[in-house]
Amino acid sequence: MIAVLPFYSTQVLEYTNFLYWSFAVVAAIILGLVIFFTYRYTTKYKAKSPTDQPQSGSVSHKFEVFALITASLITVFFMFFTVQSMKEIQTIPDDPKPDIIITGHQWWWEAEYPNSKVITSNEVHIPAGKKVLLALNSADVIHSWWVPELGRKIDMIPGMTNYMWMYAEKPGEYLGTCSEFCGMQHARMRIRVIADDEANFKKWQEEQLEPVITEGSALFEKGRNLFEQKTCTNCHAINGTSYNENIGPNLTHFASRKRFLGDFKEVNATNLRAWLHDPQKVKEGAKMPNFILSDQELNALVEYIIHLK
Amino acid sequence: MSLFINIQEGEDQLPEVTSDKGRLLWISSVDHKQLGIMYLWLALFFFIIGGLEAMLIRAQLAVGDNDLISPEFYNQLFTMHGTTMIFLVLMPALIGLATYLIPLMIGANEMAFPRLNAFSFWMTCLGGFLMYFSFFAGGAPDAGWFNYAPLSESNYSSTQGVDYYLVGLILTGMGSIGAGLNFVTTILTLRSPDIKLNMLPLFAWMIFINGFLILAAFPLLNAGLFMMLIDRQFDAHFFIPSSGGSAILWQHFFWSFGHPEVYILALPAFGIISEVIPVFSRNKIFGYKFVAASTVAIALLAFGVWVHHMFAVGMTNTVNGFFAASSMLIGIPTGVKVINWIGTLYKGSIRMTVSMMFAVAFLIDFTIGGLSGASFAIVPIDWQLTDTYYVVAHIHYVFLGGTAFGIFAGIYYWFPKISGRFLSEKLGKWHLWLFVIGFNFTFLVQHVLGILGMPRRIYTYPSRFGSWEIFNMISTLGAVMMFVAIAVFLWNLFITLKKPRTAPKNPWEAWTLEWATNSPPDLKNFEEVPRVHSRRPLWDLANPDNPDKRLN
Repeated sequence: MIAVLPFYSTQVLEYTNFLYWSFAVVAAIILGLVIFFTYRYTTKYKAKSPTDQPQSGSVSHKFEVFALITASLITVFFMFFTVQSMKEIQTIPDDPKPDIIITGHQWWWEAEYPNSKVITSNEVHIPAGKKVLLALNSADVIHSWWVPELGRKIDMIPGMTNYMWMYAEKPGEYLGTCSEFCGMQHARMRIRVIADDEANFKKWQEEQLEPVITEGSALFEKGRNLFEQKTCTNCHAINGTSYNENIGPNLTHFASRKRFLGDFKEVNATNLRAWLHDPQKVKEGAKMPNFILSDQELNALVEYIIHLK
Repeated sequence: MSLFINIQEGEDQLPEVTSDKGRLLWISSVDHKQLGIMYLWLALFFFIIGGLEAMLIRAQLAVGDNDLISPEFYNQLFTMHGTTMIFLVLMPALIGLATYLIPLMIGANEMAFPRLNAFSFWMTCLGGFLMYFSFFAGGAPDAGWFNYAPLSESNYSSTQGVDYYLVGLILTGMGSIGAGLNFVTTILTLRSPDIKLNMLPLFAWMIFINGFLILAAFPLLNAGLFMMLIDRQFDAHFFIPSSGGSAILWQHFFWSFGHPEVYILALPAFGIISEVIPVFSRNKIFGYKFVAASTVAIALLAFGVWVHHMFAVGMTNTVNGFFAASSMLIGIPTGVKVINWIGTLYKGSIRMTVSMMFAVAFLIDFTIGGLSGASFAIVPIDWQLTDTYYVVAHIHYVFLGGTAFGIFAGIYYWFPKISGRFLSEKLGKWHLWLFVIGFNFTFLVQHVLGILGMPRRIYTYPSRFGSWEIFNMISTLGAVMMFVAIAVFLWNLFITLKKPRTAPKNPWEAWTLEWATNSPPDLKNFEEVPRVHSRRPLWDLANPDNPDKRLN
């Protein structure tokens, strides 16, 4: 659960924190004054009888001028810090070399690490204590990347690449969400960013680069064959094989992830089975077709996929 | 010099009307009063529908992981709720009040173009019903009231819903443009010869400026709507990136209309408040000139702020900085208006009618909406909070706590004039308190939900987020209170319309010309118009030994 304010990481978002608090103070003062005077005048000058006429008086027009000047000064203050902090948060090098390329799909995330060639989906690992440059785009409609604690929000727009900095001070799991309405399952397109310390991040990358598991029990073998026969490979890639379509999530190390379907369900045999059995029942509108698998086929496929560590 | 002058009938004679009764007469009417009333009924009808949609939305969100409503239906609901409330409730309610009142306020017997007036109403009506017909034609629009491309294009939204949205809004847009043109022309040409522009009642002044806003903003929307219709029906590629179009282009079209639209809905409400508060405070408005002039400033700035809806699309800091500055600037004239209204209360003799209480509630809740709006001008805050429930809270504080409270103040204020009967003040107070308290319960907590990270337009959220559930439940309970409040209001309307017409000409001792007519006004508004020498003609008539300063 996201904590109460101020919850933002330093370095990327300290200015945002400052602006938050100063705006909150100014807004509270203005609102307080409006409520106070509205209440005071409406009680103090309430008509004593229905025919009561006023003592007739009016506020000095100097007050209008005073209000205009005060408002302008407040505006200048906030404008100065707005420009300052935009520079701080969103200065991207001319020739950006992103650490991670994230692509939004209806309704899941694809993450590619150009330096190490790792490709994963839905769960994004980053090194803690280091500013990470993200490149963001979309494969279909407009999505928006937002992990409140780690950085700004930026839209992912088809035909356009956006860049932003992300920073996690401490290792841990950070939740976020797609923030632009993107169709039926917009609600279940949540983000999980896992910040590891340097050693763990390196270890994670190495594990992701390991070749896919190819051998296992008889059931596993059956599942692997089904994976081909049932045309799963037309959409899902598995590194180290000839399956390299990326219409659906890359499944090479599927079982190393904690959750799937856009952070919706925990990765375990039961959930996977329910999903393969009837995707529309689990996540209505999802692009995954129902292959009308028999019980034995389901067992085999689950056995195969759950071992893709 | 006589106290009254005759006004000439135009050369172009209207069809002969012999009676103001009968249903056929309503349908074929070009009378601004009947059209105004029909606008108000239309708004009330769609207000009930839009409100029921809102109740379904709140029921679905009351608890996490709720499966009361399917995601498909939920998306249709929130799309139609937003579109309905903006285009089929607030617009017709404000245009309706203005259509009814503008000729009366300026001492005219008709609008400048009576037939165009009828055309505007029936276009709005047709557009609204056409949009709702989509429910029976395979599914309502489901891409949000903002209808972002490419989600709204045919490959991602394959039902006919979005087509109905496009055609429906094109029609209501034509209606609004006609109304805007009519207001501007009427106020420029049909004022009683005594009334100079600087003597207009502030409501008329705001509608005048609003007319220009409508004329400049709605063509932008209609152009965009037509382009998308061509995309969907004739396979063009204006907004489809995969074949060379631009998804962002739609957003520019939409928001360069959409932000002026916010002021199109706010200015008439400012006008209502600027009539109601002085009359019930028994005080002249504090700073007429500032209120009038700042409206012009707002209207001009309104066309230079739209990108603050798009700070997150990834434009450069220079562009964002420019629009941040303009968005902060537009807050200044709006904010100082609040000071003018509070200043009007000072040393008044305040009569706390339901109308006045709605105006006071407006002052506070609109200020909250204005402040949360100003926070979006601060780009880094916007980068966090845009597209969260914080925005949902903000838009409702502006449109409900602002515009709708203003409309309610206006309805209670002008009801005796329009119908000749008084709405019950007792039931009115129930309506007011339930509605205002329910409103703040519903939307105040949504600011917090946004800051906690809840995005907008989601049909459900994980129930493991305990605090989201608590706040959403509070929000839903508030919505139930508002629902009850509206039921009380409808009951109040129902019983009042059965009472005999007893309202005198000027029950509130108001000062503007509409109160010089009968309640309700005769078919021909004025046989003769009182002479006008100041902004408060009826004050001058009632107090010949203490008139306001002469302005002509």
